[in-house]
Amino acid sequence: MIPGSQPTDTDSERELELYFGPQHLGMVGNFSITLKVRGDRIVEATANPGYLHRGFEKLMEYRTWMQNFPLVCRVNVVEPDSMEMIYAMGVEKLAGLEVPERAQYIRSIYLELARVGSHLFGLWAYSNMLGFDTPAQWAMYHRDLVLDLFEELTGGRVYHIYLWPGGVRRDFPEGFKDRIVETLHSIGGCVPDYDSTFFNNRLFHQRAHGIAKISQERAKALGATGQVLRATGMRYDIRKVEPYAAYDQVDWEVPTREEGDAYSRIWVIRDEMIESVHMIFKLLDAMPGGEVYNRVPNPFKWEIPPGETYVRCESSRGELGLYMVSDGGDKPYRVHFRTPSYPHGLTILEELLKGASIADVGNTMISLYIVAPEIDR
Amino acid sequence: MISSLKSSLESTFKDVAVGEPEAGRLSVLAPKDSLPVVLRYLKENGLDHLALLSCVDWPERGKFEVVYVLSCYMPSNTDYASEQRLHVFVKAEIPREHPALQSVIDVFENAEPYEREIHELFGVHFAGHPRLIPLFLEREYEIPPFRKDFDTRQYVAETFDPIPPVDE
Amino acid sequence: MDRNQLAKWLKSPVEMANKYSLHAVYFCTGCGIIEIPPVITARWDAERFGIKAVATPRQGNLFMITGYVSLKTLKAIIRTYEQMPDPKYTVAFGSCPINGGMYWDSYNTIKHLDKYIPIDGWIAGCMPRPEAVFIGVTHLWTLIDKGKADGYIRYSKNYASYRRNQEMLFGDLGWPPLYPSESPAEEARA
Repeated sequence: MIPGSQPTDTDSERELELYFGPQHLGMVGNFSITLKVRGDRIVEATANPGYLHRGFEKLMEYRTWMQNFPLVCRVNVVEPDSMEMIYAMGVEKLAGLEVPERAQYIRSIYLELARVGSHLFGLWAYSNMLGFDTPAQWAMYHRDLVLDLFEELTGGRVYHIYLWPGGVRRDFPEGFKDRIVETLHSIGGCVPDYDSTFFNNRLFHQRAHGIAKISQERAKALGATGQVLRATGMRYDIRKVEPYAAYDQVDWEVPTREEGDAYSRIWVIRDEMIESVHMIFKLLDAMPGGEVYNRVPNPFKWEIPPGETYVRCESSRGELGLYMVSDGGDKPYRVHFRTPSYPHGLTILEELLKGASIADVGNTMISLYIVAPEIDR
Repeated sequence: MISSLKSSLESTFKDVAVGEPEAGRLSVLAPKDSLPVVLRYLKENGLDHLALLSCVDWPERGKFEVVYVLSCYMPSNTDYASEQRLHVFVKAEIPREHPALQSVIDVFENAEPYEREIHELFGVHFAGHPRLIPLFLEREYEIPPFRKDFDTRQYVAETFDPIPPVDE
Repeated sequence: MDRNQLAKWLKSPVEMANKYSLHAVYFCTGCGIIEIPPVITARWDAERFGIKAVATPRQGNLFMITGYVSLKTLKAIIRTYEQMPDPKYTVAFGSCPINGGMYWDSYNTIKHLDKYIPIDGWIAGCMPRPEAVFIGVTHLWTLIDKGKADGYIRYSKNYASYRRNQEMLFGDLGWPPLYPSESPAEEARA
């Protein structure tokens, strides 16, 4: 329709079906949404996942407890480390294993580094989608610096497989602490640049303010966690609610916002990144010495007593849970991941897209911080 | 909170079995018809977050075990209390032949995709669900793939191996 | 541009232009896509090699299949591949398209991608590092030079076999054959 003119015929009122993804420039990840549109307003949105379904939970029933570590980290590609953490926590709880104190600190530092890397990736995706190419390039470069740290520590750039039940695979190499501090300082030194080009940019405010707004009541009813919930004012963070690793050993704050729209979600992500960096400095200072690894039984003959458990941790996207059942054998009997993107990408996305315009689909999706492989598993 | 919740559950519902397998966790075994009522009761008593809906296949017992994992959101602007670490497993056992269950979407809206997933991967029917259409899978499977009697290695050997390489 | 390639440019400018301006289709097929953003941004900078991401398959000539391929994605990959104009090159990225990788016993991922569409180059690893991507690309240049990156020709020549394999997996594909019968593809090319 020509801007300013009145709709004259019934064509603009006709309902059309529009396929958004999986091969689409506005789509991050292999995911698709079927939109029913009238004009450029969305009447109904249907999420259509499954493009990345590998049946992880079935495959894990065929592999021993230790063999599953390379598998779990591939559930969430952007932040594989919290997947390792949740599985290690589940195995430790079922088998009744203890973790040395130094390993708890290393785990926390490792997970916070992963959170910074993951948020920088999210910042790349969001600013790239809005057309802010400069901060996008910076964010991806800074994420690469974090990946270099991981490479030195674990040997892998993307998949690390560093956490094991009973601790971590190896101690920090010599001088690694200083290199963490140096890298984080060089990233942190660019925060004013990010602020002036992106976060305080009027265009970002205009483009994101009021988009995909959700109230706290609706967010709770639809099972939201993570930034989606914290952007509505609730300080719900598993690291505080049910502390694990060494998160109860140092002081830190949970950043929140009140509005519940895309703008406040991205600001929560920014504040969280800064809080994570500060937390890493505090953890590095407080880190005790000692062992990093308690021996586990021979992994080829390791049988875990029957039982079931539900453990949870805070990934960079929200509450990550694991329901695991053992029947006393050398393999898990049933594994089910509760991934944060699952309610965000299916129930909340469908609700928020109702009545939105087609131009805001990418904005809504990326600000909800959806990772498609986490949904499909 | 745990002990009061346990006693109030036992006094309100005659047919549920409540256990406390470990500190901070309640396990409630309910008959399948009273599931929505039990879940609504728990929701009104503070367990307002349905974290997960899962299903376990026990072929030798001839049962599916459907598990609802509930935990608490926090009332806003309060401090973190150890009470919020509570979580509850609500379980129902249903027979493996023609498994069916009442949908709980009217209690927890976010159960919708979980029920679709379990319908697809285990073949459990949820009565009252508005769209039990496939979620993940492209092909039709004779046995839903997450059941224990579905052997994925045998399936791979039968499905993908016979496809010949393209000869040049 | 290398000075001693001038003769090649004069001889076959179209081929050389094809080779040095690979336009990659923007399609995140699997977890390998996590290494593509670093590759196309400032630190590794794929534009040094003339690689650029484009929005639609109609404008692309390089298809990077990044990571494992589930059945639902394979259908989308076949459609995308058939929409790309000739000459087109496919590079399979990571271990999973080669032989199934760590998902060798998964009921929902395919094991050998070259049974369904032709592949010109393979980059092994899980994940392949950005350097590996560039080595793969420079190797693809050599193949193009020698005329060995001929996947699109093989696809039209053996289309019946490819289509048969695709239909063995999906039953009815839901769209008409790209090359309706055995020989017309050859005639169309001539």
